Amino acid sequence: MSPLYWEDVEIGVRRDLGSYTFTAEEIVRFARKYDPQSFHVDPEAAEHSIFGGLIASGWHTAAVWMKMAIAERQRSAGGTPLLRAGVSPGFEDMKWLKPVRPGMTLHFSSEIVDKRELASRPDMGLVLSRNKAHDEGGDLVFRFTGKGFVQRRPKV
Amino acid sequence: MTDLLYFEDFPLGRSFACGPYHVTRDEIVEFAREFDPQPHHIDEEAGRQSMLGGLAASGWHVCAMTMRMFADHMIPLAAARGGAGSREARWMRPVRPGDVLRVEAVVAETRESKGRPDIGHVTFECRVFNQREQVASIFMTPIILRRGAA
Repeated sequence: MSPLYWEDVEIGVRRDLGSYTFTAEEIVRFARKYDPQSFHVDPEAAEHSIFGGLIASGWHTAAVWMKMAIAERQRSAGGTPLLRAGVSPGFEDMKWLKPVRPGMTLHFSSEIVDKRELASRPDMGLVLSRNKAHDEGGDLVFRFTGKGFVQRRPKV
Repeated sequence: MTDLLYFEDFPLGRSFACGPYHVTRDEIVEFAREFDPQPHHIDEEAGRQSMLGGLAASGWHVCAMTMRMFADHMIPLAAARGGAGSREARWMRPVRPGDVLRVEAVVAETRESKGRPDIGHVTFECRVFNQREQVASIFMTPIILRRGAA
């Protein structure tokens, strides 16, 4: 059964979020708007940069992780929210370990690693997840620790 | 062309101002539809009923807008060699349509590279303020900088 409340969240559960292929067009479109450094927006300049070619903004990779997480949540819940969740207070320890280049396919995942009660919000609990993207060779490309508020089961 | 700022030019506490960024409803919804299609980032009524108390930008969108301000106002000044991540992000207050954001980036930590004498690591505490002077988000952002010729 799908978990609904913080009480139902099980530490150690790993969700496979699926794969996503980055295109040059998307990399440039995101970066023009949000991260217009030459190695993200200009293929020719990128050739001469330390990266040796166009690479995606790290924030683009992060945004695609979120896109995949929401899509997976919708798939497994048939359109209704899986968890009484949604709002996040932030994240920790985000690392861009390998450049993401046009044509690369990343495989995204999310594993619940901890859950905590919140002294300030007895109606909410915190859930920590270790979120990752691997390339097709199995190398870790991207990771961070996500935090999410999840509703606690109402006391009857 | 002014001289670039090198690792040595970032003593603890030095502060840089970036921005402003004008946040529109269309942009909030457009970003959310593509990357974070949760109802409270797309629909006014759903936002009101959520913890956010109204339509609000995705936290990932706030990261992206902050990056844009940093890229426009900070990176061109510095002999930057890129970043490899973000140590911490705290999304503290909702960012809403009509908000005007700015960033105050303060040098919070500096460290010479042990293995490479030509670079150093500088971590900025980036406070994102709205037009009411409230802190909307805080990002701890490490950047790699070239060291100046001593």
